[in-house]
Amino acid sequence: MNNRCDSDTLALVAGLRTPFCKAGGALQQVAAADLATHVFRELLDRTPIRPDAIDEVILGCAGPDAREANVARVAALRAGLPSHVPAMTVMRNCASGMEAVLQAEQKLRAGQGEVFLVGGAESMSNFPLLMGPALVKFFARLGKARSLPQRLRALLSFRFGALKPRIAVLEGLTDPTIGMSMGDTAEKVARQFGIGRAAMDAWALQSHRRAAAAQKERLAAEIVPFVGRPFREAVRTDDGVRAEQSFDALQRLKPVFDRREGDVTVGNACQITDGAVALLCMSLRKCKQLGLSPLALVRGTGTAGLSPATMGLGPVHATPKALAAAGVQLSAIDRVELNEAFAAQVLGCLQAFADDGYCQRELGLPGALGEIDPARVNCNGGAIALGHPIAASGARLVLTLAHELRRSGGRFGLATLCIGGGQGQAVVLEAA
Amino acid sequence: MTTNVASSPTTAADKPRGVVHWSLGQDGIAVLRLGSTDETVVTFTRDRLLSLDAALQQIGAEPRLRGVVLAGPGPGMFCAGADIGLIQDITDCKDGEAAAVQGRSIFQRCRSLAVPVVAAIEGPCLGGGCELALFADVRVLSDHPATQIGLPEVKLGILPGFGGTFTLARLVGLPKALDLVLNGKLLRGKQAAKAGLVDRVVPASKLLAAAKEEIERLAQKGRKHVRRKLRGMAYWLSCTPLRALAVRKARQALQQGQARFYPAPQKALQCLVNAFTLPAERAFAAEAKALGDLIVTPVSKGLVHLFFLTERSKRLGKQDGALDVQRALVVGGGVMGAGIAGQFAEKGLRTRLCDVDLAPLVRAKARLQQELDKRQRRGQLQAHEVQAVQDRLAIGTEAGHLGSTDLWLEAVVEDLGVKQKLMQAAVARGLRDDAILATNTSSLSVTAMQRSVPHPERVVGIHFFNPPEKMPLVEVIRGEDTTAAAVATACRLALRLGKFPVVVQDAPGFLVNRCLAPYVNEAARLLLEGTSPEAIDRAMLDFGMPMGPCRLLDEIGFDVATKVSAVMHAAFPQRMVPCELFAAMTTAKALGQKTGGGIYGADGTGDGPGRAVLASLRAQRATPGREAGRGELLQRLVYPLVDEAFRCLDEGLVASEDDLDLGLVMGIGFPPFTGGITWFARREGLANITAALDALARTVGPRFQPSDGLRRRALAR
Repeated sequence: MNNRCDSDTLALVAGLRTPFCKAGGALQQVAAADLATHVFRELLDRTPIRPDAIDEVILGCAGPDAREANVARVAALRAGLPSHVPAMTVMRNCASGMEAVLQAEQKLRAGQGEVFLVGGAESMSNFPLLMGPALVKFFARLGKARSLPQRLRALLSFRFGALKPRIAVLEGLTDPTIGMSMGDTAEKVARQFGIGRAAMDAWALQSHRRAAAAQKERLAAEIVPFVGRPFREAVRTDDGVRAEQSFDALQRLKPVFDRREGDVTVGNACQITDGAVALLCMSLRKCKQLGLSPLALVRGTGTAGLSPATMGLGPVHATPKALAAAGVQLSAIDRVELNEAFAAQVLGCLQAFADDGYCQRELGLPGALGEIDPARVNCNGGAIALGHPIAASGARLVLTLAHELRRSGGRFGLATLCIGGGQGQAVVLEAA
Repeated sequence: MTTNVASSPTTAADKPRGVVHWSLGQDGIAVLRLGSTDETVVTFTRDRLLSLDAALQQIGAEPRLRGVVLAGPGPGMFCAGADIGLIQDITDCKDGEAAAVQGRSIFQRCRSLAVPVVAAIEGPCLGGGCELALFADVRVLSDHPATQIGLPEVKLGILPGFGGTFTLARLVGLPKALDLVLNGKLLRGKQAAKAGLVDRVVPASKLLAAAKEEIERLAQKGRKHVRRKLRGMAYWLSCTPLRALAVRKARQALQQGQARFYPAPQKALQCLVNAFTLPAERAFAAEAKALGDLIVTPVSKGLVHLFFLTERSKRLGKQDGALDVQRALVVGGGVMGAGIAGQFAEKGLRTRLCDVDLAPLVRAKARLQQELDKRQRRGQLQAHEVQAVQDRLAIGTEAGHLGSTDLWLEAVVEDLGVKQKLMQAAVARGLRDDAILATNTSSLSVTAMQRSVPHPERVVGIHFFNPPEKMPLVEVIRGEDTTAAAVATACRLALRLGKFPVVVQDAPGFLVNRCLAPYVNEAARLLLEGTSPEAIDRAMLDFGMPMGPCRLLDEIGFDVATKVSAVMHAAFPQRMVPCELFAAMTTAKALGQKTGGGIYGADGTGDGPGRAVLASLRAQRATPGREAGRGELLQRLVYPLVDEAFRCLDEGLVASEDDLDLGLVMGIGFPPFTGGITWFARREGLANITAALDALARTVGPRFQPSDGLRRRALAR
């Protein structure tokens, strides 16, 4: 294991998240900045750290509203951080929330701060509908028209078909370099490793069951109820978890991406969700100075790229980097949080980790990284049950893993996720 | 360049205070400053007015003169109007009239100068200061945050007497002038420009340059004045017989509610109309006469007295050791807790509101949002400000860590044990030793609470009244161990919320509820004796109270009245035996507005379910019912209030008669035009009150027995 000094070690001191709620549901009227403001404020109210002691605010957000492009800054100011504390929004698609943790660690090691308020926030409900090119053209023409006949002609050029909007959520989930949707990449991974529909649905079912079992206590411990517009009721729990989910019901769902031959359904893919996570990180030295007890220590991190067409295998590529940085073997990992973008991709990763051929060919390693016991993976359910508010997920994995390590008495844990566009990111935590 | 002080030229360095200064620049523009830079408040004293007179004469004699700029002595200051002490000292209406004529004729010199006069206004420009600016040819306003302009004289029971009614009405038209003068409205920057009161709003750094620019612009055209004409509705409602419409509307507003007790707006209305119906000199003369008449009225004297008391109250927060509270935690999500927390958030405090249950906290947020939405619709708040207020108010069942909390305040059930436990829990959660522990209790002992926590000296009572967003008084309760610093911090907080603090010793009922107890108790007894609630309430409304005692009981709720009266009874077993009506109404669940009606219906009018309770209690009595007359009602309701107030003073609950005056005006709405309860008592005659109370003690009951203190005072005069 590496031996970094206390001043170079990033400690996770506290974390909170909003409930994760299905897009268009309980958090529909709430923007990403509202969610982030709430978790920032709650976290600050619960820790002895004074807001002016924070060196930087780093927030992941993949789709901030046009009015709050640097949503980190907006949320920091609204949560009452003094104006001298800088804030930046980071974007690495699905890993944005985890990227915020990585940024904090890098800044710490570069000597650019010691206390960081980080996290991720996403309001997929509020991903915009965009004007289609036909409508843009129509308005441009109308705007240029000067004389009355010109205007009339411009108006007459209107076609109802032009009203068809571009849907940002859908477009965001399609890789522009290869033209494949995220679901298509999952299908490709499934075929590469021979993963069938039954295995996917079984994983999905397990995700719901584990999440349902954890909901009352383990997940509740990370959640702070959200109260926002229209101030009718507090939102208290993740609403995507289906305790009553049956295997048969999952089996009956029709594939959504490859409608004829595919196996990926909405049931074995992650849900589209709103939510935010906040984590308070600082150097271990500062932590000791202030007499705080950390939840976990960041021991190693890694980010890797791979073919966008099999982006789901990103964790397999990123994990060895994080393990090497941490100086631990895969076999030493007690708990894994592997983001469930698709059951196909989770199962694909588990196979690839143990596959000599894949590890030699793709990673240039002498042999397989090792087996991961599926019982140690996503013990409290994953994104299939809880949802995947893009940028919030990475931070949630870190938070959930830290709690789970503590609860289970494990020492090392791995949080990792695949990233649309063909990347993977991983963090190795040590229980503190 | 020449520099001049009123009569003799001096250097810029040693400008005397309290007089105006002027200097003439190379450009031929004289800058007249209304004071010296080391003055903190500029008011028109006699000296300053005379020096202004001399300065304007001297300036007029300058051969090179091309224009005059009227300016305050320095940044953020213009002139806050006439010296209020002088107003208070005038006791003869002839003196008042003469002062008005003199002031106005000095201001009129601005008009008789041959060159343009521009007022460069920054900071408060009120009353007489505004009237001077109105005599200038052009007004330029700075965007400095302290800048406010208006004629608030009616709030002191007088009217703008230095020609302000005439000049304002002519400038902005009758409807706008009525709105500004009759309500004493103050305007800021853009509002003032929109109202036509000023010509330009400019950044503070450009004020003087802009004023000179205006002079150059007029000079180029060879004119002194800007040509002004009323247009549109302002013209029709001012200069044609249609003005009757504007007058009728204003008059109607002056007949509603308590407006009838205040003569100043009525007279101001006539003066504003005169601006369009009389020649200038006659209108000015009528205005001066009206001022003379008003300035000697008891109403004006009373209002000025109260003004001084509010100014005095504002100094309470400036004492040594007063912390500026930035972060607050409020425990208890009921009506009081939620209201207080909402006020905190609105006034910029980072606030956390906690309760064991989340539901009332969500309702608190929703109610606050409703209130903020309303103000946004009225244009008082912008969307981002509404959001900022909500952002500042966090809610939760978790109190969190209290290390950075400056003030912890509880508004939970009135149970000493519960409150003590909560205070101890707050200390355990990391509350700093210098953070304030405050209680909003209305009936429990602050001293008993402070004895249960470490550092008892920072425990203080901060008693808000219901509803906290509207009631202007805060009783700051000093427990036996409370330090002056903790009291000062509480006062400073109250002032930040825009409320008036009164410091009261820790005693049952404190000041307001203590005085209110005999008042509502007696109202209930009168009800049982056969007087109708309407008659009782009407009598008190006619006395000048904002609400009759029966309606007040409905608003407070009979459950609360029962509890409070029990506390008062325990403290004063002879004098404050609760009327059986309270308990009967509580048993019958006719609590008041919160349960759909008490004596009146749920909306405060008509018969409520409590009438049946009242009828059955009356029926049980042996003696037949009897309606009390007006005089008896006044004596039985108001005189005991006077007696109780003096008892509070004599027992040391409050420090002075001033505290009684301010506390009861702000706390129970004792008629402000009286100048407060002690002023009322003196005018009524303490001997008369004592005699009346003695008579009541003989005929009605010993509870009316006046205190020794009152007797002593009655004899002393």
